[in-house]
Amino acid sequence: MTIEPPIIQSSPDILAQPSYMAVPCSKYTFSELADIYNQSRVDYIVPMPMNAKRMEAYVRSYDIDLDVSIVVFDHEGLMAGVGMLGVREDRAWITRVGVLPDRRGHNLGRFLMATLIDNARGRNCRLVQLEVIKGNAPAHRLFLKLGFRETRELLVIRRPPGKAAAPPLENMTMTILTPDEVETCAKQGSGWSWIEEPDSLLKVGGLRGLRVELGDGTSGWAIYQHSALQIAHLALHTPAPAHDTLTLALLYHLHSLNPMLDTKVENTPALDLRWPVFQQMGYVEAFRRIEMFLYL
Amino acid sequence: MTRIVVIEDNPQNARMAEKLLKHAGYEVTLAEDGESGLTTVLEIMPDLVLMDLGLPDVDGQTVVAMMRQQPNLDQMPIIAFTAWPEDTAAEMARAYGCDGVINKPIDTRQFASQVEAFLHIPTQS
Repeated sequence: MTIEPPIIQSSPDILAQPSYMAVPCSKYTFSELADIYNQSRVDYIVPMPMNAKRMEAYVRSYDIDLDVSIVVFDHEGLMAGVGMLGVREDRAWITRVGVLPDRRGHNLGRFLMATLIDNARGRNCRLVQLEVIKGNAPAHRLFLKLGFRETRELLVIRRPPGKAAAPPLENMTMTILTPDEVETCAKQGSGWSWIEEPDSLLKVGGLRGLRVELGDGTSGWAIYQHSALQIAHLALHTPAPAHDTLTLALLYHLHSLNPMLDTKVENTPALDLRWPVFQQMGYVEAFRRIEMFLYL
Repeated sequence: MTRIVVIEDNPQNARMAEKLLKHAGYEVTLAEDGESGLTTVLEIMPDLVLMDLGLPDVDGQTVVAMMRQQPNLDQMPIIAFTAWPEDTAAEMARAYGCDGVINKPIDTRQFASQVEAFLHIPTQS
């Protein structure tokens, strides 16, 4: 891969490192960005490599602003890392951050983060948020030093393909949501993480949904991204007091409709009271993230 | 000759695995992502698959799930080949029907014998 020499220099006040340079990600192709990102994460605690197609979808779905996302270069002009910034109104989201293994230990991560925070200010953001994988102690320490504070733990959970056992529920009815209904449901989300916010769900494509009504008239809905191989971006609406029963019913119907599909659910709050129901339906924890906020 | 498919996107890991397994007398085919990996496995029908769980196009778990749904692959030994924390890797491997886990980075002295051990155990499926 050919990397063009740095053309923009950034020296945020928070950390003057004039010998380091940042180039907007908009100067690179998605293939190049995926390559840089993969190189920076090659020894990561949970490697999540991407190809160009995945990177493009990621940028589009999560409102990544490539003009304020950066590739950083060290004092010798060598490519050293990458970091991206999503922007929604007055909030920013830092993601895809990584420094190449052989460039670490020289404050490049701090420079990278400081530049992204500076860029968020430049976009008039009042809040910067991120998630760090639990167990990535160096990154977690850096974020704390920069002023980020933990808000909650999030689970990434998986369920291999397979039918679900029928729940002991009588007189429940299931209906498939129309595309308009799915969109309406997606817009109702609140308290979800960046990648599951309405703005994300409405962009990921392939959304489907179902509604379940129990015998007593209570009802809930599930919306999810359906692809050839996987269910993802699952969001459930299960009003009290029937959280568990509705969750059970919705997951049963979801997996009965899609028994051949793998399921990946990202960023379910670890304290979500419905997590035991997910476990009952065959979900297992893959890893945890810690969500952190920095108010500007 | 015993045939092994290594599905691994990291070129260094892939080359190291290939070198060690060939040295141990195995016939090795490499695939760098999930889609080509599944195609390769269906073409070659190897005796064992080493599956990186983090792939650039499709998650490794999803590829394993697809393989297990193929009638002619449901008994094939599939070994998760991953740098994930051991407990996480073991949980994912078990849930998705892998027959075991070999952790990265590769232990060059043990790798071939680790793989060989999985060629002689009954599969989980």
